[in-house]
Amino acid sequence: MVQRGAGFAFVDHTADIGVHAWGTSVGETFEQAGLALATLMGATSPAASGRPHVIRAEGPDLGGLLVAFLNELVFVCETADGVGVAALRVTHLEPRWLEAVVHLAQAVPAADGLAVKAATYHRLHVVEHEDGSAEVRVFLDV
Amino acid sequence: MDVERIDAFSWRVPVGTVDGMRVPGIVFGTEALIRQAVDDRAVLQVANVATLPGIVGASMAMPDIHWGYGFPIGGVAAFDAAAGGVISPGGVGFDIACGVRLIRTDLAWETEVRPKIHELVAALGRETPRGTGTGGRLRLSRAALLRVLRDGVRSLLERGIGEDTDMRLCEDEGVLADAAPEEVSERALIRGAGQLGSLGAGNHFCEVQVVDEVLEPVAANVMGLFAGQVVVMIHCGSRGLGHQVCTDHVASMDRVMRPLGIEVPDRQLACVPLGHEAARRYLGAMNAAANFARANRHVLGDGVRVAFEEVFGRSARDIGIRLVYDVAHNLAKMEEHEVEGRRRMLCVHRKGATRALGPGEPSLPEDYRSIGQPVLIPGSMGTASYVLVGAAGAAARSFASTCHGAGRSLSRTQAKRRIDGHELARQLEEQGIVLAPASWKLLAEEAPFAYKDVSEVVRACEGAGLTRTVARLRPVGVVKG
Repeated sequence: MVQRGAGFAFVDHTADIGVHAWGTSVGETFEQAGLALATLMGATSPAASGRPHVIRAEGPDLGGLLVAFLNELVFVCETADGVGVAALRVTHLEPRWLEAVVHLAQAVPAADGLAVKAATYHRLHVVEHEDGSAEVRVFLDV
Repeated sequence: MDVERIDAFSWRVPVGTVDGMRVPGIVFGTEALIRQAVDDRAVLQVANVATLPGIVGASMAMPDIHWGYGFPIGGVAAFDAAAGGVISPGGVGFDIACGVRLIRTDLAWETEVRPKIHELVAALGRETPRGTGTGGRLRLSRAALLRVLRDGVRSLLERGIGEDTDMRLCEDEGVLADAAPEEVSERALIRGAGQLGSLGAGNHFCEVQVVDEVLEPVAANVMGLFAGQVVVMIHCGSRGLGHQVCTDHVASMDRVMRPLGIEVPDRQLACVPLGHEAARRYLGAMNAAANFARANRHVLGDGVRVAFEEVFGRSARDIGIRLVYDVAHNLAKMEEHEVEGRRRMLCVHRKGATRALGPGEPSLPEDYRSIGQPVLIPGSMGTASYVLVGAAGAAARSFASTCHGAGRSLSRTQAKRRIDGHELARQLEEQGIVLAPASWKLLAEEAPFAYKDVSEVVRACEGAGLTRTVARLRPVGVVKG
């Protein structure tokens, strides 16, 4: 799942969990953050593709956009019982708006997913580097 | 960061600890608990809350304080609309009206329940949907869900679920009158539609407990509690519906507060003045989510009745099953308090803190007016839980608030590094605690050692004059979310 130049890691927090994600572009970084969230929720699928589902999100800035995007994904994962994220691609990205396609397929049967309540603005951090690469840190309420 | 000792159980965070503090911080706790909170950076969050507009008295935290997002867990803050005071969804949290319900029985542990504990935990497990996603005991039509949001427990009694005492002995009699279901988004309704009567995951549970020790016999007697008796405690909240309400309104306030010139040290503290349209909309949606949370625990409580009837072959009434109390620990309420010598209408935020009204409060059910409001403190699987009552001095000291539990001291990752779920279950079984977890992996994250010592937290609340300790309960069977 983790590609060269793109990936994610979890950040410890006493009560909750943080995600650090990075990629060669803002879009790819957001995708990594989304995959981190789905992994945490136990909502990933080993399938190569699946039923496409379009996610649209808006935010007042890149940070707000990331939180809105992740909260859309929380909604999709929580309400699509037994279905996981097989693939995730940000297809359009503007500073305050994005569209992504999530491919949903049968998830690995597991009861180990954390119930993620939401993505928060707490210590939210989005950095866009000069070469176009980016990294983010976002905390999730679990 | 420095905190100043006020007395043995309270500590001041001076104005100036962070820029823009309007009032000092006050944290209740023993020295050991305070040191943990400072190291955890939770005390810094107390100082951050003190910068919010219209805060009065002090930004407070209870002895179970730990690092949250924006507000600390254990935080209490009161805002005066007349002084530009605000409301902040982050000051309530995502799990709106998460709380605790305690149900009593007439059954004695040693002679009646102990021989059937495995059977009872299995039956409770079957009656208690848990884990992530959907699958509550009730799947409601859109119209029925909207009724629950507006009328809370009352709407369920009308469907024949539960008994009249369930309403009388629930905080706010099971329904917040100012709920506005029309302010609850479509997404929140979709998340909530299938989840009424489900525990969820994380630290939520349904536990069979034994009254281990009665510390205040008069209050215990009023609540129908006695040593050796079996009770059931349910800890859960408003599930996805409440989470989505918070998500929607934090995003809304994050946008609205900027043009109003409100700046906050952590964006999760997003807030608007109480008179603002966005505040009115959030309060209506929050109250609706709170009604859902009470209804959720009510439906789970009905499952407890079913499980006991099945295992003991007698009616719930015959077994003496009755609600003791149900109280939230994540909520904002409009309450009248005396500040600087005058009565003021305040919006009191409690995030991981429990309202604790003292004796004589007219809003308490008549049953409990003489002893004060019951406060239910859940432990952490292998440790004790407590029943407290609000002390007479709590109104003046903490806006009538106290702790809500033990509070985490280790992260989930740290807990999992120390033990795996199967080993933890083996250790708990050795202690005589029967388990029905939703997940073995997640079980380890909730290991008792990942939490602070709940007994020390409760002692600190009593020492600080916030609550009196009525009874200690020990777990014997755990249905874990």
